[in-house]
Amino acid sequence: MKIVYTLLLILFVLPSIGQQSKSCLILNGYLHIGNGEVIESALVGVRDGKIALVRNALAYTFVKSEWDTIIDVKGQHIYPGFIAPNSTLGLTEIDAIRATRDFNEVGQYNPHIRSQIAFNVESKVISTVRTNGVLMSQATPRGGDISGTSSILALDGWNWEDATILQNDGIHVNWPASMDGGGWWAEPSLKKRNENYEQQKQSLYQFFDLAKTYSKIRKSEQNDQRLDAMVDCFNSTKRVYFHADELQQLQDIVDFSIHFKLPFSVIVGGYDSHLLADKLKDSNIPVMLVRTHSLPENEEDAIDLPYRLPFLLQKAGVLFCLQNAGDMETMNARNLPFQAGTAMAYGLTEEEAIRSISLSVCEIVGIEKNYGSIEEGKSATLFVSNGNALDMRTNQVSFAMIRGNFMSTDNFQKDLYEKYSKKYKKD
Amino acid sequence: MKYAFLFLIFISFCSLSQYNPQNGTIASKPKMVAFKNARIIISPEKTIENGTLLIENDRIVDAGILVIIPERAIEIDCKGKTIVPAFIELYSNVGLPKPIVTNSSNRPQLESSKQGAYYWNETMHPETDASQVYQIDQKANEALVKMGFGFAVTHIQDGISRGTGAFVSLGFESSNKQLILPKAAQFYSFEKGDSKQTYPSSQMGSIALLRQFFYDYEWYAQTKPSETNLSLEHLKETIALPFVFKTSDKWEILRARKIADEFNYSFNFLGSGNEYMAVRALKNTKNAIILPINFPEPYEVKDPYIARQIPLSDLKHWELAPSNPAILVHNNVPICFTSLGQKDEVSFWKNIRKAIERGLTAGQALNSLTIEPARILNLQKELGTLENGKKASFTIYSANPFEEEAKRLESWLLGTQHLVENNTKQDVAGKYNLLIDGKQFPLEITEEDGKFSGKIQTFQDREDGKKGRIIRDTLTPKVYVNLIGDDITLQFNLDDNNWNGSVTLHAKVNSRLGVFEGDGMLPSGKWVKWSAVRNQKSDQKKKEIETPKRDTSYSEKLWFPNMAYGFQELPKAETTVFRNATVWTNEPSGILEDATVIVSDGKITFVGKGNFAIPVGAKIIDAAGKHLTSGIIDEHSHIAISKGVNEGGQAITAEVSIADVVHPDDINIYRQLSGGVTAAQLLHGSANPIGGQSALIKLKWGHSPEEMLLTNAPKFIKCALGENVKQANWGDYNSVRFPQTRMGVEQVFYDGFSRAMAYQKEWDTYSNSKKEAVLKPRKDLELEVLSEILRSERFITCHSYVQSEINMLMHLADSMHFRINTFTHILEGYKLADKMLKHGAGGSTFSDWWAYKFEVNDAIPYNAAMMHDLGVVVAINSDDAEMGRRLNQEAAKSVKYGGMSEENAWKMITLNPAKLLHLDDRMGSLKVGKDADLVLWTTNPLDILAKVEVTMVDGKILYDANRDAEMRILNQKERGRIVTKMLESNEKGEESKAFIKRRTKHFHCDTLGEEGTEEQNSH
Repeated sequence: MKIVYTLLLILFVLPSIGQQSKSCLILNGYLHIGNGEVIESALVGVRDGKIALVRNALAYTFVKSEWDTIIDVKGQHIYPGFIAPNSTLGLTEIDAIRATRDFNEVGQYNPHIRSQIAFNVESKVISTVRTNGVLMSQATPRGGDISGTSSILALDGWNWEDATILQNDGIHVNWPASMDGGGWWAEPSLKKRNENYEQQKQSLYQFFDLAKTYSKIRKSEQNDQRLDAMVDCFNSTKRVYFHADELQQLQDIVDFSIHFKLPFSVIVGGYDSHLLADKLKDSNIPVMLVRTHSLPENEEDAIDLPYRLPFLLQKAGVLFCLQNAGDMETMNARNLPFQAGTAMAYGLTEEEAIRSISLSVCEIVGIEKNYGSIEEGKSATLFVSNGNALDMRTNQVSFAMIRGNFMSTDNFQKDLYEKYSKKYKKD
Repeated sequence: MKYAFLFLIFISFCSLSQYNPQNGTIASKPKMVAFKNARIIISPEKTIENGTLLIENDRIVDAGILVIIPERAIEIDCKGKTIVPAFIELYSNVGLPKPIVTNSSNRPQLESSKQGAYYWNETMHPETDASQVYQIDQKANEALVKMGFGFAVTHIQDGISRGTGAFVSLGFESSNKQLILPKAAQFYSFEKGDSKQTYPSSQMGSIALLRQFFYDYEWYAQTKPSETNLSLEHLKETIALPFVFKTSDKWEILRARKIADEFNYSFNFLGSGNEYMAVRALKNTKNAIILPINFPEPYEVKDPYIARQIPLSDLKHWELAPSNPAILVHNNVPICFTSLGQKDEVSFWKNIRKAIERGLTAGQALNSLTIEPARILNLQKELGTLENGKKASFTIYSANPFEEEAKRLESWLLGTQHLVENNTKQDVAGKYNLLIDGKQFPLEITEEDGKFSGKIQTFQDREDGKKGRIIRDTLTPKVYVNLIGDDITLQFNLDDNNWNGSVTLHAKVNSRLGVFEGDGMLPSGKWVKWSAVRNQKSDQKKKEIETPKRDTSYSEKLWFPNMAYGFQELPKAETTVFRNATVWTNEPSGILEDATVIVSDGKITFVGKGNFAIPVGAKIIDAAGKHLTSGIIDEHSHIAISKGVNEGGQAITAEVSIADVVHPDDINIYRQLSGGVTAAQLLHGSANPIGGQSALIKLKWGHSPEEMLLTNAPKFIKCALGENVKQANWGDYNSVRFPQTRMGVEQVFYDGFSRAMAYQKEWDTYSNSKKEAVLKPRKDLELEVLSEILRSERFITCHSYVQSEINMLMHLADSMHFRINTFTHILEGYKLADKMLKHGAGGSTFSDWWAYKFEVNDAIPYNAAMMHDLGVVVAINSDDAEMGRRLNQEAAKSVKYGGMSEENAWKMITLNPAKLLHLDDRMGSLKVGKDADLVLWTTNPLDILAKVEVTMVDGKILYDANRDAEMRILNQKERGRIVTKMLESNEKGEESKAFIKRRTKHFHCDTLGEEGTEEQNSH
C-alpha cells in the first residue's frame, strides 16, 4: 500500500487534470487564511498547483510578468477549500434507491472495507456541493461495529485515484451504545442502561488486543486482511474514529485510547463532549462535532445546544471541527458553510468558524501540511466568494480551484435554472 | 366469628338457583345474619359506630344503631371492626378469554377477515358480548375481592367498538348467580387492537372511523335500509347502555368527548393518570373518569449519567401523579378508581392512601369506589352503600382502611361469606423458658411474614483428647413451629447431653398469658408433659401508623405544559409597545427604521413612525438596533401531532383530520417559537392520494389543543402524488394497494370526485323531495369532505414533485371546476410555473432539498425564486422539526439561489404562507387590526447571525430569550429537587424502575403508523 501512496503523491504535482494555469495571482481579496488570521487585502500566488505566495497587497509589489494569469478580486473573500468530514458523499446518489447506496457493508468488524474505491467522482451531488465552497470530503463507510476505512478525496478528478488526497486515513468504530431500548416520544418504552454494554466493550478490547499483537509481528507473517487494515492505527498515523455521543461512551473511549496508546484517536459526534472537555483536551483527542443543524437530544437541553457546542469546545481548548452526518447528509454537504455560520452566531468568531471547516478538519484527519489553510507551500485548494461564505445570502462562489486546477462551480442545477429561465423569457 | 368455619363449608354447596338440580339434600344456609357492634361505613357521608348490619339472603335489611335482631338471625360480633361497602370495578376483563390473533401475513389486509354480515371494519364489533363467554375465574376474583371489590364490569379489551361488558359479582359460586347483568355497559377505545385490517392506522383514523360508525348506526336505525348489518343490529339494543371509553392520555379524553358531543352521547372515560395536566380543559365536566392509581415508581437515579437523561416531564409526573385524583375532584371532575395495574391489595391500598395524603378525603375515595361507579351503571338503587334494600356485598376490616392500615378479615358477596382471613392466629413470638421432662431450655420464637420459627439453646460436653478436660459446646438447633388455631406444635432435632434424635411437642396456646402446655415425644419414644412460659414478648414493635397529612399544595408545582420550559403561569396578552425598532411591515411601507409597533388585546393597534400615545400600563420594549417582524408561518409542518401523521390504510382518507389529534406537549412547539414561528399548518402525511384534513394552529406553548387551533379557520386538506402515494419505497410487500403507478393515481382522484358528485346529487334529490318518498342517504364523512372540495369550500395542499403529475392534477381540477390551492414541495414547479400561474396554484417548497429519492432528481434550489419571478405565490416550508426553527435561514437561501430581494425572501415565510392559507386578513404582516404575532430579532432576520429575542403570539409573549435563560437554570433546579426526593425513596428501598428515555423521533410526510421514525430520508 505504501507504494501506491507514494505514487499518488507524485501524481498530483503532475499536470494536469482541469484548466491549470501554470501560475496565477489572486489580487486584493479579503483573505481568510484558515488558521484564524486574515489579511484584509491580500496577494495569493499559485504556481504548479501550490500556493507560492501569500502577502499583504498593500506592502508587497509583485512582478506582473512572473504570473500567467492575474485575477483582481477586490471586495471579495478568499477562503481555503472547505472539507466535509465523515460523509457518504460520493458513496451514494439517491438515498431511497438501494442500488445507489454504497456505504454500508455486511459484517461487524470491517476495518478492511475501503471507501476510496467506491467513490463516484461524477456524482451529480458532488457538483452541487462544490458550488458552495466545499472542495474536499472524507468518504466514510457506515454500519457495523467497525464500519471500515475512510479516505480523503478532492471533489474533483477523473477517477478515485487522482481524487485521492489521503487514502485510508482512518478506521471508523461505532462505539457500543451505553443506553438501549427506546420507544418514541409519544409512547416511551423502557430505555435503560445497555445491559450488554460491558460485554460489547470487551469485544472491542479483544479485537484491538488481537490487532495490536498482530501489528508487532513480522510483515512476512502477517496474512490477515482484516488485521492488516488495523496495523497503521498503532504504528503510524492512521486515525481511529470513534463514533459516540453519550458521556459514558466518551469516558470509556478516552480510557480505551490510553489503554492501547492509540496515537490518533478522534471522537465523531460528541454531543456530550462539552461535559468532558478537560479530559479530551488533556488526552489530546479531537472531536468532529454532531451537526449544528440538529435538534437537542433531550427535552430540557438548551434549545440552542447543538448551535453552541462548537463554542463550548473552543472555549475549553479542545481541537474540534464540524461534520454533517445525518439525514440527507450528501445533499446537505453544501450547507456545511452555513452550519459553521450558525456556530458563529452562537459564539465562535468568524475566523474560528472558518477554521472549523477547513484547517481544523485537516489537522484532525492528518492532511494539514498540505491542506486547510492558504499558506505558502500548501496545495492551492481554495475559492473566492463575493461575500461572506458562511451566510446563505452572500455565499456566491466566483471561482474555485482544487490543487491549482480551476473548477467549474456550475452544476446541472444551474443548467436547469438557465434552461427554464430561457423558456419563460421566450414566452 | 364462631360460625366462620361453618360458612366456609357451605360455600361450596350453596346455590340459590333452585332449578339447578343438586345431588342429595340442599345444603343448609343461614338466611339472616346480623353483624353486631361494628363500625359501619354506610356511605361516604354516614358512618355509625357500634351499629348492627342485618342482611337476609343477598340483601341488606337494616343498618343502624337500634336494629332489632330477629331470633332467626345468626349473630356475628364485629366489635372493633369496620364494615365497608363492596367496591365496584368498572374496567376489568375478569373471567374472560383472551382474544386469539390469527392473520400473520406481511401483505396488507385491506378488508375485514370476519365472516358474516357484520360491519366492514373488523375493529368495530359492538356484537361482542362478554356475558356469552364469561366464566368464573376464582383466582382473578380473589385478587379483586382482596382489594375490597365486590362487583366488576368485565369486557373483552380489544378493538375500537368493543361490545358490551357484563356486570358480575365477584363470588366464587355458580356463574348464574354471579352474572347479575349480562349487558351493563358498552366499551370503546381509539385502539384498533388485534385487527390486522390496514385501516385505521392512526388515531385520527380511529376517530374518523368511530364517527362514521355512529353515523352509520343512526342512519341504519332511522331509515331501516333493505340490507342487514348484524353489528349495527346489535348496537340498536345496546346503544342506551352507559359508555366507557378507554383513553391512554389526557388529551384523548378531550378527543373522545368531542365525538360524544357530536352524537349527544355521554361518555365515561378510563383515564391514564395524567389528567391533572389538562385540568384547565377538563374542569367542571359531568362525565366521570375512571382513574388507575398505579402511580409511577421512582426511577433509579443513583447513576448521574443515567439520571441526567430522564426527561424532566417524567420526573415531574412522578411527583404529581398521586395528586391526580385530588386535583380532579377539586376541579369538579367526578372520578372512579380502577384496580388496573395494581399488583395486589397491598399496593392498591398504599396508592389509595397516597391519593388521600394528597388531598382527597376518605369519603371522596370511597365515593369513587362505590357510589360513582354505581351511578355510572344506573345501579345506585342496588349498590354503592349499605342502606336497606341494597345488595349485601361488603368487606369487614380490622379498622377503617381509608384512615389507617387495616387488615381485611372477610368479604361478603351477595350475602355469602368469602375469603375469611384466619384472624385467630395468635402472636406467639417471644422468648420462652421451655421445660421438657424436667430439663430447661431457652426458646426463642420469631415471626416473619406470618410464619413462626424458633431456636433453642442447649449444650454438648465433650472431652479434650490431649488434656482430658471437658469442653462444653453451645448448640442452637432450629425449631419448626406450626400454629393452627390455638394448637401449636414444635419439632427439633437434638444431639446434646440429654437426647439424641427428634423431639416433637404439641400444646394448647394461651397467648394472653404466654404459656404453652401439652404433651410430647422424646427421641426415645418416651411420652412426656412439657410447658413453655414466655418471659419476654417479641420486641418487634407494631408499625406505627401516621395519621395521613393532607397536602394539596402539589397542584402549585404543575407547569403548563408539565415539562421543561413549561409556564408556571400562562402569560397574558398585555398591551405592549415596541419602540425604535427596524420594522419589516410586509406592507407597501416596506421596512421602517426607528418605528413603533403597539399591540393590545392580542391585536396590532399601531405601526409606524408617526405620533402615537403610549397606552396606560403598557409594557415598553426598547428595540433599538433590533428588527421586528411578523411571526413566521410554516405552511408544512408535522410537529405537535399525536399517534400518526398518516392514515395510510386506504387510498382516500379525506374523513380524517389532524385537527382531531393536535398534541400540545411537543417540545418542538417551544423550539420553533424560539425560531420565530408563530403559526403552522399541521398537515396529514403523503401516504395516499387524498389524505386527511389539516390543522391550522398557533404555536401556543402551554395551551390546550382547542386553544391552539385557529377559530374560523379556512378548511384545508392534504393530497399527494408520486412515490409515496404509489408506495414505491415501502418494500416488496406493499404492492397490493391501488395505486402503484402515477397512472393509477389519476384514476383514484377521478373515482373519488365522481363518487362525491354522485353523493352530492343524492343529497340534493333528497332535500328537494318529500322526505317520505326518498330514502334518506347515508352520511359519508369521506364524500362530505370531497364535496367540500368540489364546492371550493375546502382548499387542497398537494404534495408533489415532478411536473407530469402536477400537470395532471391541474387538468383534473379544471375539468371538475375547482382549484388546487397549493402545491407543496413542488420541486419541479420551475418547469411549469406558467401553468401553475394560469391555474391559480401557489407553491410551498423547500429551499434546497433534493437527492433523497428518485423523483427529486431534478429539484433545484432556484425553484422558489423562479416560481416567484413568474408571479406564483411562493412559500418556503419546513416539513421538519429541526428546520422549522430556522426557516429564516432557509428563506435567505433564495437570495443566493436566484437573486431574490431580502424583503421578498422574508415574505416567503410570513406573508406568502398566510396568503396560501387564506389567513392574510389576520396574519402575515404588521398592520393595524391583524393578530399580534410578532418576532423581535437581534438583527436582520435573514442574517446568519440573527437570533430571536421575543416571540409573541396573539399578544402573549410565549418565547423570551431572557426567560429561556432563566428556565434553563430553573429546569436544572427542578430536576435536582425531584431527583433528591427520588434518591430518598431509592434509599428507603422502595420499588424503583429503570428510566425511560424518549427517543426523539419525528413525523415526516411518509411516516406510517402511530409511531415516528428515525429514518427520514424521504419527504
